[in-house]
Amino acid sequence: MTIAAPSPSRPEVICLFRSLLRTARKLADYNIKEYTKRRTIDAFRQNRSLSDPSSISSAFSYGKSQLEVAKKQALVYSLYSPKLKSVMEAH
Amino acid sequence: MAARNALLKYLRVHVEAVPRYPSSTSSIFVSSINAFRRHFSTEEVMGSFLDKSEVTDRVISVVKNFQKVDPSKVTPEANFQSDLGLDSLDAVEIVMALEEEFGFEIPDNEADKINSISLAVDFIASHPQAK
Repeated sequence: MTIAAPSPSRPEVICLFRSLLRTARKLADYNIKEYTKRRTIDAFRQNRSLSDPSSISSAFSYGKSQLEVAKKQALVYSLYSPKLKSVMEAH
Repeated sequence: MAARNALLKYLRVHVEAVPRYPSSTSSIFVSSINAFRRHFSTEEVMGSFLDKSEVTDRVISVVKNFQKVDPSKVTPEANFQSDLGLDSLDAVEIVMALEEEFGFEIPDNEADKINSISLAVDFIASHPQAK
């Protein structure tokens, strides 16, 4: 049995949102970077009206686990990314 | 701006003043200190602050480009929440966009405080790394 984590506070949610966007920025590949940003923003928008404390904490812990995935992928892609940039990045 | 120029002038005089009192025993020490000071003073000159009106223009254009914002409502005094109808998530997105525009990272505790265009301009104009 897992004990339900206390519902995250507003600053914690904002901090998770910002961390996800900062990590998205570190992803080298244009498509993956834009997808991660879009997915983060959409998910937080979709869950903004959650009121049930247990669904808020489960969404929050899902977000935290996704942050770990994004951090790991940013590192892995930085080691194996091609030198070429996407044409969408005009520099 | 005037205060900064006065300070830089003072630093420059200070750097030149050192070799006027050469000491035979510590000449190497003095010259190394002098080199250090010169390096330090050029660093000071390079870390320049942006002009406030330029910062205002660039912040306004970033906010106008944000898709949820009505460009006609954007004024130098606009508040993100009350005037532009943005929520706290949008405010985070705008601060991230400003970081990209000015090429430096805004710490989380400062970013939380930025909830209007004038606050964003004040913070960026007082930050030496903004470019």
